[in-house]
Amino acid sequence: MSSMTPPVSANRVWVFYAFALPFAALTIIFGLWPIVLSFSVSLTKSATALRAEPIYVGLENYLSVLSDPIFRASLISTLIYTLASVVANVLFALGYAMLLHSTLIGPGRTIFKVAMFLPVVTPDLAGYAVWRWLYDQSFGAVNAFLDLVGLPAFGGIASPDTAMIAILIAELWHHTGFFVLIFLANLAICDRSLEEAAEIDGANRWQRKLYVVLPQMRPSLVINTVYAVIQFLKTFTVVVIITKGGPNGATNFVSYYAYRLFDQGRYGEAMAMASILFVIVAAVALVAYRIGDRRPS
Amino acid sequence: MIHRPLWLRVIAYAIAILVSLFYLYPYWWMLLGAFRPAEAVLTDPLRLWPERLDFSVFRDIATVGGVSIWRYLANSVWITGASTILSVGITALGAYALTRRPDLLAFKALRSGFLLTMMYPYMLLVIPVYIVMFKIGLLGTYAGIILFLALGPIQFFLFEQFFRSIPGEVIEAAIIDGASEWQVLRLVVMPVAMPVVATVTIITFLLNWAQWFPILVISRSPDTYTLPVALLNMTGELGVNFQGIMALAAITTIPATLVFLLAQRRVMQGMADGAVKG
Repeated sequence: MSSMTPPVSANRVWVFYAFALPFAALTIIFGLWPIVLSFSVSLTKSATALRAEPIYVGLENYLSVLSDPIFRASLISTLIYTLASVVANVLFALGYAMLLHSTLIGPGRTIFKVAMFLPVVTPDLAGYAVWRWLYDQSFGAVNAFLDLVGLPAFGGIASPDTAMIAILIAELWHHTGFFVLIFLANLAICDRSLEEAAEIDGANRWQRKLYVVLPQMRPSLVINTVYAVIQFLKTFTVVVIITKGGPNGATNFVSYYAYRLFDQGRYGEAMAMASILFVIVAAVALVAYRIGDRRPS
Repeated sequence: MIHRPLWLRVIAYAIAILVSLFYLYPYWWMLLGAFRPAEAVLTDPLRLWPERLDFSVFRDIATVGGVSIWRYLANSVWITGASTILSVGITALGAYALTRRPDLLAFKALRSGFLLTMMYPYMLLVIPVYIVMFKIGLLGTYAGIILFLALGPIQFFLFEQFFRSIPGEVIEAAIIDGASEWQVLRLVVMPVAMPVVATVTIITFLLNWAQWFPILVISRSPDTYTLPVALLNMTGELGVNFQGIMALAAITTIPATLVFLLAQRRVMQGMADGAVKG
């Protein structure tokens, strides 16, 4: 504010506190309090967690979670799934955004964009319910289609080997529109004159894309990668509706496992898992932002 | 426009059309599944046009889990509508106060606290919210559900971004002319904020229409379930009623789809802005 600011009366201060009050109340009651609670519940005996005076057991829940082979398997499959999903989503979205942005696509660009973005605003649960049945062995269109074009059948959600790929595709369907949108926004502000200069210098089309355009895509690459990592680390809805963690625990990701424990009243362990996942999410986000910031842009 | 070889453009369009079909086909298949008898889908899952329209499914889904479909629809409209209006009002006022006077005591802490909350994995936040609702007596109430859904990151970022873009001189001039803060808000800020209010309203509506997990967790009975939660309930209880699930999925999807298609430019612009900021 400039030096023109008139003298501030107490009244003018209080009115801002009044404006911020409902927002502050919601943030505290439905944000900060549950976070504090989740940490404190993770230190209590589950059976007493909801009581006025819960029994604190220190890090016992963490130890029992970390020594639980199901949790370890769950953590590993979560990490594998996250890695595969991030790579698949970001690369596919980047390639498709570059295609849509290129001079090869003229009329119809908006339709292509809208088609891809529609699943983002479709209630995820409804979308995944449809996918669950698309994969169905008898009702599903996926295997009927593969059969029609003479390809081998896809195990889909029925087989432990393919369940992860099946939900990866369903999630790709739901999320890529968002990533493409962010890439397109970045492509729109890329400096075309740099590309033209490189062309004059004799760089071919691929060299220009790789050495001139791609470096300018850093902001959107960072945003999308961080967003995707966080998104896929906490994969939940798709598991609830499509695989319920199965078959054979192949998709029993940490969020889902924590929820199942919560559902069984094992609050302490569920919250310990939540805290562990939060630390992983926060660490990954932090590292990703650091990497994104450090390199010159 | 630079001229590119025709064959390359044909390939580019072929890819774009195939990809778009991949994204759109599930919607068509869902609609077909809702209006074709299940036996017909079993014999020919790939048929692209219904052999006849079968409306019998609406009898099957008239009640789900002992509650009328109309109640779920009414819950969806009420919970989404109320939480959207609350969200826009509360977040706009909060973001406005925090942007105008970031120097005030505790405002910095409030902003950081809010950002921390938004960073916390959502699904895992909802679980302790169950305990909070239990403690403050809002478990199983509409109030609990609506209040929880009134907080979201994209709303805050869009408003903050907008309020920062208002030149300070405009507000100062009004204050020098003797306007109270309330008048500044009503006569100076609100008239120019209408586009961002519209954007945030539509995006919040879409996001909250899709919500299901907090509603499931805060609810005590299906009486406060919305359409998506009813759909989840149905997949659990009647695992094999394929046609009913497709019909309920369609009823859940269509309102959001229509709202999005009517406001696609605004929604996509807003989601991009909100994400880039966050």
